[in-house]
Amino acid sequence: MTIATRNGDTLVGKRMPRLHDDRMLRGHGRYVDDIDETGVLHAAIIRSPAAHGTITRFDASAARESGEAVLVLGPDEIGRLTDPLPTTWRIPGQHLAAVELAIRTVRYVGQPLGVVVARNRAVAEDLAELVEIDIDPLPAVVGIEAALAPDAPLLYPEHGGNVAGGIHFGPPVEELDALFAGAAHVVEREFAVQRINPSPMEPRGVLAEWIPSTEQLTVWASTQVPHLVRQEVAVGLRLRVDQVRVVTPDVGGAFGGKTTLYADEAMTCLAAKVLGRRVKWIEDRTENLTASYQGRGQQARCRLGLDADGRFTALHVHIHGDVGAFLSTAGSGPFQVAALTIEGPYRFGAAGATVTAVFTNAVPTGAYRGYGMQESAWIRERIIDEAARELGRDANELRLLNTIQPEQMPYTTGTMLTYDSGDYPAVLRRAVEMGETRRRPSTDRIRRGIAVTGNVEITGFAPSALLEMFQIHWSGYETGTIRVNEDGTVTVFSGVTPMGQGIETALAQIVADELGVPLEMISVQLGDTATAPYSNFSSQASRSLPLAGAALITAGATMRERMLGLAARALGVGVEEVKLDGTVFRAGTTGAEVTWRDVAHRGWMGWGRGETDKILLEETVSFDPPGITYAYSAHGAAVAVDLDTGKVTVEDYWTVNDSGVLVNPLIADGQIIGAIAQGLGTALLEEAAFDPETGQPLATSYLDYVLPLSEDVPDIVIEHHVTPSPIITGGFKGVGESGIQPPAATVGNAIANAVPEIAAGLTATPLSPSRIWTLLEQAGLEG
Amino acid sequence: MKPPAFDYQEPRTLDEIVELLARTDQDATVLAGGQSLVPLLNLRLARPDVVVDINRVPGLDGVEVADDAVVLGAMARLATLERDPVLADALPIVPEAIRLVAHPQIRNRTTLGGSLCHADPAAELPAVAVALDARLHLRARDGGRTEEAAGFFQSVFTTSRRPEELLTAVEFPRHQGFRFCFEEVSRRHGDFPFVGLCFGVRLEDGVVTAARLAGAGIAERPLRLPAAEAALVGHRLSGDLAEVLDAASAEVDPPSDIHGTASFRRGLLRAVIRRAAARLDQGGSR
Repeated sequence: MTIATRNGDTLVGKRMPRLHDDRMLRGHGRYVDDIDETGVLHAAIIRSPAAHGTITRFDASAARESGEAVLVLGPDEIGRLTDPLPTTWRIPGQHLAAVELAIRTVRYVGQPLGVVVARNRAVAEDLAELVEIDIDPLPAVVGIEAALAPDAPLLYPEHGGNVAGGIHFGPPVEELDALFAGAAHVVEREFAVQRINPSPMEPRGVLAEWIPSTEQLTVWASTQVPHLVRQEVAVGLRLRVDQVRVVTPDVGGAFGGKTTLYADEAMTCLAAKVLGRRVKWIEDRTENLTASYQGRGQQARCRLGLDADGRFTALHVHIHGDVGAFLSTAGSGPFQVAALTIEGPYRFGAAGATVTAVFTNAVPTGAYRGYGMQESAWIRERIIDEAARELGRDANELRLLNTIQPEQMPYTTGTMLTYDSGDYPAVLRRAVEMGETRRRPSTDRIRRGIAVTGNVEITGFAPSALLEMFQIHWSGYETGTIRVNEDGTVTVFSGVTPMGQGIETALAQIVADELGVPLEMISVQLGDTATAPYSNFSSQASRSLPLAGAALITAGATMRERMLGLAARALGVGVEEVKLDGTVFRAGTTGAEVTWRDVAHRGWMGWGRGETDKILLEETVSFDPPGITYAYSAHGAAVAVDLDTGKVTVEDYWTVNDSGVLVNPLIADGQIIGAIAQGLGTALLEEAAFDPETGQPLATSYLDYVLPLSEDVPDIVIEHHVTPSPIITGGFKGVGESGIQPPAATVGNAIANAVPEIAAGLTATPLSPSRIWTLLEQAGLEG
Repeated sequence: MKPPAFDYQEPRTLDEIVELLARTDQDATVLAGGQSLVPLLNLRLARPDVVVDINRVPGLDGVEVADDAVVLGAMARLATLERDPVLADALPIVPEAIRLVAHPQIRNRTTLGGSLCHADPAAELPAVAVALDARLHLRARDGGRTEEAAGFFQSVFTTSRRPEELLTAVEFPRHQGFRFCFEEVSRRHGDFPFVGLCFGVRLEDGVVTAARLAGAGIAERPLRLPAAEAALVGHRLSGDLAEVLDAASAEVDPPSDIHGTASFRRGLLRAVIRRAAARLDQGGSR
């Protein structure tokens, strides 16, 4: 059942191309690297070749004496000129509160140690090779198990262990243990999720310009969070925040990988400041695959208790998260979200989750689309499937038996999340139904199977009070500003940022509706800290549309009233008589007219205003919702498993998704399709692997880091349910991350359904041919 | 990811090429299609003093068909060979294998000679060259020589071509009476395969009288499988191939890496042998 919440000729709900599509498709995008090259110097980053060791010598004299280097900065200079970058989300026990810029002990291959500036990038790279670095090697800690071994080498000996911190959500483990002891059936499994590289089409990059006379730094950055970058640059470079302006040009995808200022970016800004010049650094693909923060990387032991009827009596998961060499801005956040969301759309007698964050000698992990919720879906949906198999029950029947019912909303989980709204069983039932028509027969050597999974996700991460409770230093609210200009055009500002997802278009649709003016009159201008309202959280956590959209609805309604009032006074009639028709205000009684543009002009002249009215034709609203709004979905996959080769083909994929009121269903579908494609990459292909002895990254180009190609992704069928969020003005919920969370679990369960002989071994992704073939061989099926 | 500085030469004749390659005062690298060399330059894994771009030298991209052999110019683009009707008729295994190499955009630039000289042990065309006992024509300033494919491929990215030599053409014997096909298992379409196999047989009354098998991805170079070939003789392709599969498994020592274990690759070799045999039994390629 799809509910149409808006009808008529409103723009909200209209399936329309993004406003920038034409420009982008013609190759007219303007990314950091496309900005005017005049006077630009180029930086290359000096990086650690070793995973762990102490720097005993950093000698840049050959580079400095070459006559080619404009500047070389090493740990000594950087230490003198900068402060560490503060982190945002910490975990109890965390002893690192900041990201160091001056490195004396290297802790991962690719760690930035210094910067070389030259007239072009090639020369800068030549010079970087001339810098001699001696590193006293220390044993590398690769992977979670190695980090927790009793005799493990320590990344921070002064900290006394490789555990970076820990937290528990829900009832105490002893309480859960008692429930497991009394359960009719307990299923226990260990699950793992590999490290993933977010792989944006456009890698990171900054162009920094310091003007010595005005002492102003401008940073053009490929980022999701211009205000956070500004805040971090200011701290790192010891500047006032109002000396720094961050501008985000077009961003070619981010997926969570651009949610903080990185050390290499800070070094580029520092080089600009030292030189008083424009300095650019564009991350290359090898750097992106080795030095950009990665996602996922965890192991989890999960227990599910059931009573004799198959009702879930208890759930506990202990997640060990690989934070890498240090805690990035997000730090253990993704692992905490995995723990918080472990219950998904189901009821449990009791449920709890424990997180242990672990240091390893690998590039830090951080935000990646899905942010812990891909991991929780993988663990939860796989163990439910395993429970069904052990009990001889139908997995979907078991799911539906335990699904939270719509009349139980709002529903508070064991980890204290309060789901706001939705009909969880309806999407599950519909996805099961869609699967029935997608069953195909197996052949001798090709086994086929289907599976359906359920998921609930945190979207529109807010409110401020919740973030304060967790001491997460991100602005939970979001702000929207609508300015009607002197010529009647409308400029919209917000703290959220575009990265190709189409947020400008969706916000324009909302504002055009609220003001009642044509879409063409709206220009949404985002990403410049000089004009964007403050938001250091900005576009992550599926926040942009629900939170900025809600703010702009309220701002728009107020602005519309003000324009009607100004028009009424211009026409000399009561405001109730004035109607806006297109771009003309008309008085119902006299038929007199005044254009929207003339009213805007009169407004800016200060004419015709009421005594208490403000002059500025601008409305700014900050929206801080009472809670998180939760999107939810069911996903289905039909797979074919080749018993000879271990290759898995996803033949069909479908989802029933509820992201509340959809502003632009075309954009929503694009978000879901793209995210499912990425989810299939995690399920089957991608892995940021490291040499277990040396800690050297092994997937350093797209030859070895394997992304899904178009033929690896089937046509995806999407159905929408619309349950308006009761706590978000406009009824919106987020959609950007919903598609990526369930694919690994769905594909994994479909493989289990196709080849039950190997089901119990399907505990780690990627479900690569080699991994599947090995399981098939163990089961004697490989032929 | 920018290359270190190098000199760039753009010869117009074969003599100019070999003259440049003969210089001992500089380390020269030949630029043909550039699909491997340019990334290697950018990654600074290749650091030549001079890049000799041979794209403007005419006459190195011919397709000549004789009764007993097909001679293909080293500069022939894979996209051209893929669509050449004469080649498709005379030696269909070559276009069949080419269609498995990377993607159309890459094949527009990639050359036969470049693919062979790069000598990726998992690449398809070196395996075809080995299966067919291709002869590689090499030219240097001081003369030419011909090298058998089996001796040309020595190790990972390593051939017997001397630095002063240019691969000018590849001669594929036509092996009258043989039918060939290429089977592979790759992660994604267009990737270097985990395991690839060029499989050729001569049949009399449905019984194998001779076989030519060469694998990719099973060793540090493309490898003939003589024990499997011997085991095939006297068998029907539709019959029990266990002996052949065991022989093949026993004579290879595949690598383990992040994409797959050695035993996985050995298993895939068995799978591609079965598939190739089934295809040729059904008619398959010639």
